[in-house]
Amino acid sequence: MKMKEKWNFIIYLVWFSYLILSAVLMFGQGFLLSRKTLSDVSECVPLEKFGCDGHENSSIKLPCSDDDKIRRILSYSGSPIVCAPKKNKVALILVDALRYDFTEYDKNNASPLYYQNRLPVIRRTVDKWPNRARIFRFMADPPTTTLQRIKALVTGSLPTFVDMSSNFAAMEIQEDNVIDQIVNQGNKAVLLGDDTWARLMPSRWHRSHALYSFHTWDLDTVDNEVDSKIYDELKKTDWDLLVAHYLGVDHAGHRYGPNHPEMARKLKETNARIEKFIEALPQDVILYVIGDHGMTETDSQEWKSTDGDHGGESKAERTAALFAYYGLGFAGDESDRAIGREVQQTDLAPTVSAALGRPPPAPSLGNLLLPVLPNMPVTHTLLHLSNNLKQVTQYLVRYGEESQQISSDKLAQLINATRAQIDLATEVYTQPELRAYISDVRNLMDKVRGAFREVWVEFDSLAMLRALLLLLLAVFFNWIVTEGIPVEHIPNVFSSTFVPSGLIAMAVCISFCFTLDYFEMIDNLGHAIILSTGLVSGAMTCLLVITHWDGITQRWSEGRSQFYERFARTALFASAAILVSNSYIIEEGATLSYLALTVLGLLAWNVRTMKSLLLWAGFGFVMVLTRSYRGCREEQGDCWTSGEGISTGNASRAALVLALGSVAAVIAIARRHVGWRGYGVVIAGIFACSHWAVGWGSLGSPSRSRMLARGAWLVIVAMFALLWKKDGKGPTMPLVVGGLLLYLANTLVLGAAFAPTAGLALLSGFIALNVVPMLKTEGSTKFSLTTRCSSSMACLWALLASYHFYGTGHHATLGHVRWAAVFHAGDPNYTPLGTPISVALMFVYLFGMPLMFGATVPLLALWGRNGAGSLGPRTQLLAVFSLCLKFALCFAVRVFACALSATIHCRHLMIWGVFTPKLLFEVGSCTAALLGALIGATLTAWHVPSQVRSS
Amino acid sequence: MFSLNNNLELRRVTITSLLTCIYLPSIVTVISYKGLLYSVGNASSVYILVLIFVAELLKSFYLNSGNECQVKKKSRNRASDIMKSIVFLFGVVFCFFIAIILFGAPVLEQHDGTLLLSSLLTLLTVFPLIAHTGVESAMQLLFGVKTFSRDTIIAMLVNNALMTVCGAWLGAVVIPLDWNTPWQQWPIPCYLGAVGGYLLSNVLTVTKVTLLSASNKYPALNFFVNVINRLHISK
Repeated sequence: MKMKEKWNFIIYLVWFSYLILSAVLMFGQGFLLSRKTLSDVSECVPLEKFGCDGHENSSIKLPCSDDDKIRRILSYSGSPIVCAPKKNKVALILVDALRYDFTEYDKNNASPLYYQNRLPVIRRTVDKWPNRARIFRFMADPPTTTLQRIKALVTGSLPTFVDMSSNFAAMEIQEDNVIDQIVNQGNKAVLLGDDTWARLMPSRWHRSHALYSFHTWDLDTVDNEVDSKIYDELKKTDWDLLVAHYLGVDHAGHRYGPNHPEMARKLKETNARIEKFIEALPQDVILYVIGDHGMTETDSQEWKSTDGDHGGESKAERTAALFAYYGLGFAGDESDRAIGREVQQTDLAPTVSAALGRPPPAPSLGNLLLPVLPNMPVTHTLLHLSNNLKQVTQYLVRYGEESQQISSDKLAQLINATRAQIDLATEVYTQPELRAYISDVRNLMDKVRGAFREVWVEFDSLAMLRALLLLLLAVFFNWIVTEGIPVEHIPNVFSSTFVPSGLIAMAVCISFCFTLDYFEMIDNLGHAIILSTGLVSGAMTCLLVITHWDGITQRWSEGRSQFYERFARTALFASAAILVSNSYIIEEGATLSYLALTVLGLLAWNVRTMKSLLLWAGFGFVMVLTRSYRGCREEQGDCWTSGEGISTGNASRAALVLALGSVAAVIAIARRHVGWRGYGVVIAGIFACSHWAVGWGSLGSPSRSRMLARGAWLVIVAMFALLWKKDGKGPTMPLVVGGLLLYLANTLVLGAAFAPTAGLALLSGFIALNVVPMLKTEGSTKFSLTTRCSSSMACLWALLASYHFYGTGHHATLGHVRWAAVFHAGDPNYTPLGTPISVALMFVYLFGMPLMFGATVPLLALWGRNGAGSLGPRTQLLAVFSLCLKFALCFAVRVFACALSATIHCRHLMIWGVFTPKLLFEVGSCTAALLGALIGATLTAWHVPSQVRSS
Repeated sequence: MFSLNNNLELRRVTITSLLTCIYLPSIVTVISYKGLLYSVGNASSVYILVLIFVAELLKSFYLNSGNECQVKKKSRNRASDIMKSIVFLFGVVFCFFIAIILFGAPVLEQHDGTLLLSSLLTLLTVFPLIAHTGVESAMQLLFGVKTFSRDTIIAMLVNNALMTVCGAWLGAVVIPLDWNTPWQQWPIPCYLGAVGGYLLSNVLTVTKVTLLSASNKYPALNFFVNVINRLHISK
């Protein structure tokens, strides 16, 4: 008899994964929505077109001075934006990750750190020519990644979170921006450096020399290329805006951290560059040297040369520097030029536009930075200010038309305030009045920007609620299916037409949605499909529950389950429920280890033999060991201030020895027990070890090391393919080897510094696996489905899998993600499959642990002498299926809790810093766990003998 | 768990629980009145442990006082028994110490706090058992060789022990919160949690006995007895 239900189990798991992931996708689309982008473009009317009465195309043709004309225009409140009369040229030098304190100079500092006192030219210039030079703190808005910062700099707006996902495939800017403003007017812009600019704003450049920017380990190529061109460019006169983007400092920060000799070298180079710029600068060019963001604050320690990453919203990441120099002198008085004043990055776009004689870009929320604009008469200043106010008023009006994000009352209030402020310009004549007026404008603009910042994540609450509902449906009914329906009935369910009819129902749904879409009766096809399939699946499982109601009530009335089982379930729900609190998310590593240890402790207490207690103690010891590898995030305080960020993965000698030792130990012990597959594991392990050994330290050979890593991957992939070779010995061996291969993959991407953590994770899983078969079964010593497949096992496994995300040194923060894992075997961007390989490597790097634990879930049922392995194939499959589904459910519950907490806290202060990253990482873990469980279940189904014995 | 069959035992159980309900809150009240409540993690607070030790010892004397045969048996090799108990107790303290560190206490620092907590746990859980039954039977109880369902006093003691451990476990819940209060310092929440759990267990015992005797007159109270029965974990 062939087993019909064999593949139905797998299909059902796929179905369940689809339900969860599609609902999460829908939630993400609703939750991570960006602000509305308007396609408006700022227009201005040249001053010559105005008559002396201040009206456009006026009939009165009397000669008059510009001042009078501007006064008239200002007095007429309905006038359009006027193109500013004076025009300069601008050289915008962007030094990526130029933090403000890099530019400070303290001559009393006898032993400066590697990033201190390296840019003396800035302070010298400011002191020598207080009129010509300015140095300000240039505050970035989170998220502080380069793409978002460039967008913000050119549009003057606040970038939103969702743009973050497009960092690797930068798309063209859809909004009005500085470059468009000047290019449309026939002026010319030149680009040198980072190609992100060219990808954001293609085909706008008069000349461009854009260079690939994601070789984060390459500190010099881009900088040298820019240097080779920029001095020639400065001599040329055909451009109006020169953009040069240097990457070296950022890359040095990413690779070595700020406190490293390489950083000192890059900063010294920058210093020399700025000196040469100031010398070579033509008279009419304003030089802006800016940083787009800072980098995380760290102090180098002995073993851990810590990181200089960015992406988050800490003060150090947000504080960049703005250095401006203009040979003819800037406007502004003592208070304006104060060294280190805080200015917003949004202010750059209107300022550069004004310097080039253009109105601010349409979406700009910035404020004119008069202290870095050339000195000009009062009327011209007023003209610039009123242009700025008019543009913002227009934007407010237009935004109010397009979106209801800001309440109309508040919007009307802001519009009235800006209009009133425009009218006030006519009463300004003297410098003190002007000063007061400028500060009023600044306050008003701050208010406008604050109002937008407050609401600028427009959530699609309907999609979010629907997604939550779908998640709840899937989780609830599947929970009843796994916990309620008696185990004996499940094979009948799956050999019946339940799964095929479910698939047919889904197909009908999808085709129905496509039909409706064809007739244009629904707006969002994707959401319609997800919603209808989700609801239909919910209905199907509900039907299943109803038909088995008798069995369910019988099972539930039969009495309470074991205490450890109830506790394990509670622990899992607790681990999900605490995701509502930011403190627990920050300390989640400790919490998960605490819960996992307690659950296993109760299992061991249930067995209550010396051996089980010792195993428990060993498990606890392993957890304590992983503690030292746990990462540290800024919110944790203690560890952060004592300087333990995440290390860059540059292994110390001790770490290398540990890594080699752990891998060698694992393969030496494992290879004897896994038969012929052991050879593959050994070869892959040797490749991995030699990869680290050869690449270590300054004497290592990076190219050979990369070759060895590629060899290791080749062996791992080949062995993975060989897992599907049937040898008729049951599924346990292939599953164990699968786990070992995933372990090796993990060690490879984690790098030598963190490789031992993968070994510890493997060990902790192994110990837990050995406690499980000892559990007392009622009466006989025979295999008991209710004991071995109880939800406590799945919960324990899920807690472990979630814990080892932290145990391998990760943290749920976007700023701390290191990209080194992508490059350990060479840069995949040079290969034809670059992007998929990078994505896969990052996925394994971040979520390798849920993947590994997911793939080994079936072992919980099969492991041990009294495991299911000795039983009939049907029982084996049943046990494995129910465990896999329970494991997947655990992760679904956690994702649901994350989504719920993100919904609850959508206006929380820490929503972008804590809750959203947690949601993203939890979704990643869930995906990995589902994928892993699927791999494990498929492996089992593949290797289980498909013929039921005749007896 | 309890029955009214053995009136003498029941009276002893009630009186010891009542005593606990009085002396433990008074200790806590006094030290919090003196402003020393948040110093329970320091080595200077050993006197609290000594007080609890004395109180528990007196309680166990009272519990054992009627048992003539036990007294006789004990008097024969009392000295070696006491030595064994002390060694066993130190072993238990050490086990608690290790377990607490495994659960997440700092590995290399604040050993005094961890040690105090593990001593407290030992005093409240294993010590009354040993004082009542002796080392051998206590070990047998721990490893589940012997059942104790018949013995009211042991049932109470085991229940107390379990509730104490649960209290300490639950106490750790507040540690990660970012409230920055003085009582979130390690090991204060767990310490107070253990005391609280022990107290709660005793209060429940007293309540239950009261209800049991009252339900003879008013059968409606049986419902509450069942509710409290469910709260007892040891089964």
